Amino acid sequence: MASKKKYIVASVTLGVIAMASGLLIGGANIITKDSIKKNQEKKIASGISEIYGKNALISKKIDVKADTFANVYKTVEQYYEVSDKDNNKQGYAFRTNGSNAYGKITLIVGFDETTHAFKGISIVVDEQTYNTTLEDNYISLVNKGERDVDDVKCGATFGAKLVKEMINEATSAAEELWKE
Amino acid sequence: MAKGKTKQNFLKGIVIENPLFVSILGTCPALATTKTLEAALGMGILFTIVLVCSNMLVSLLRKLIPEEIRTPAYIVIIATFVTIVKMLTNAFLPELYSSLGVFISLIVVNCIVLGRAEAYASKNKVFDSLIDALGMGVGYTLALLSMAFFRELLGTGGFTIGQIFTFIPKAKLTIIPAPYTISLFSNPVGAFIVFGLILAVLAFIKNRKDEYKAYLVKQEKIKKQQEALAAQQANTDGGNK
Repeated sequence: MASKKKYIVASVTLGVIAMASGLLIGGANIITKDSIKKNQEKKIASGISEIYGKNALISKKIDVKADTFANVYKTVEQYYEVSDKDNNKQGYAFRTNGSNAYGKITLIVGFDETTHAFKGISIVVDEQTYNTTLEDNYISLVNKGERDVDDVKCGATFGAKLVKEMINEATSAAEELWKE
Repeated sequence: MAKGKTKQNFLKGIVIENPLFVSILGTCPALATTKTLEAALGMGILFTIVLVCSNMLVSLLRKLIPEEIRTPAYIVIIATFVTIVKMLTNAFLPELYSSLGVFISLIVVNCIVLGRAEAYASKNKVFDSLIDALGMGVGYTLALLSMAFFRELLGTGGFTIGQIFTFIPKAKLTIIPAPYTISLFSNPVGAFIVFGLILAVLAFIKNRKDEYKAYLVKQEKIKKQQEALAAQQANTDGGNK
């Protein structure tokens, strides 16, 4: 009887602690969610400027649903129609989001309107352990044209595989979009 | 707790029981987040906030948490504070959040936080636990800063501020000209070298101190022996006369 009571007390205590933790995290989420969303939008806009130049603007945002493309892509979440200030279309930029045991990565992969070719990549979120190497060893070199886009290098094979998959999916989605 | 004891409790985390340089705990973020002084300071502050909050709550609930669920309860408490700190950093200091990446989440598994909860906060009063956490937090932050100081100086040739803490105006101080910088120190391998060298210097200082103490003890012993001999001699001389 005594051991039964002991287990009940332990379970209830842990339950109460977990509930209080949930409430605290929920409260923090309410306080921070708008700022986090705003920061992410700012980062996407600056990523678009990095790829297409300072005058580039997002003229249209399209959420990728299962029926948006013939193929269903795991990582492509959203794509943007990018225009300049005079409303001339510059191309399409794809937001891809992937994660593995090392953490989450969100990239913007841009394609040119006239050539339909790959134009550049920028990082929105990189929570991977080797987060500086993705920028230093791969993205900055690809954007300068000093490294091939397929030759992903970001510190660990595991992370590089994920980045490659994300870029391949964005490329396939772009090809499909141009076909339409 | 007496004022002197409080001071001692605070200072032990900085010098005698420094978590990084003496206990060699929390080395993973120490190697990864000490590339720049600003990142190291950011990590130190976030770590101290989590440690202070978790230590205080663990101490407050120490009599209510049954023995059997102590560790899972501490983990839940620590994880809650880490999640809140992570959300706040992402919302209000996005540059620090991007710079530290996964290492903010990894504070949950930092042995120092769980170690202090288990070894100190679960057995002591809230105020004592707060002082202990502050001492350990400041000690860890200073250790990170000392590593970052050498890494940023040797790796980039100077110090940059305002890159992560964007509310500070951006400024760069160059001390070593670019051709003489060693980029190796900005890489993880450089962190290992700096960490190893600091530990070696600290070990050298400690050994010298210990040797000096041993020398003083030996001298004292010899002095006492000589005094005893002199006294014995005087006694013998007195007897002969």
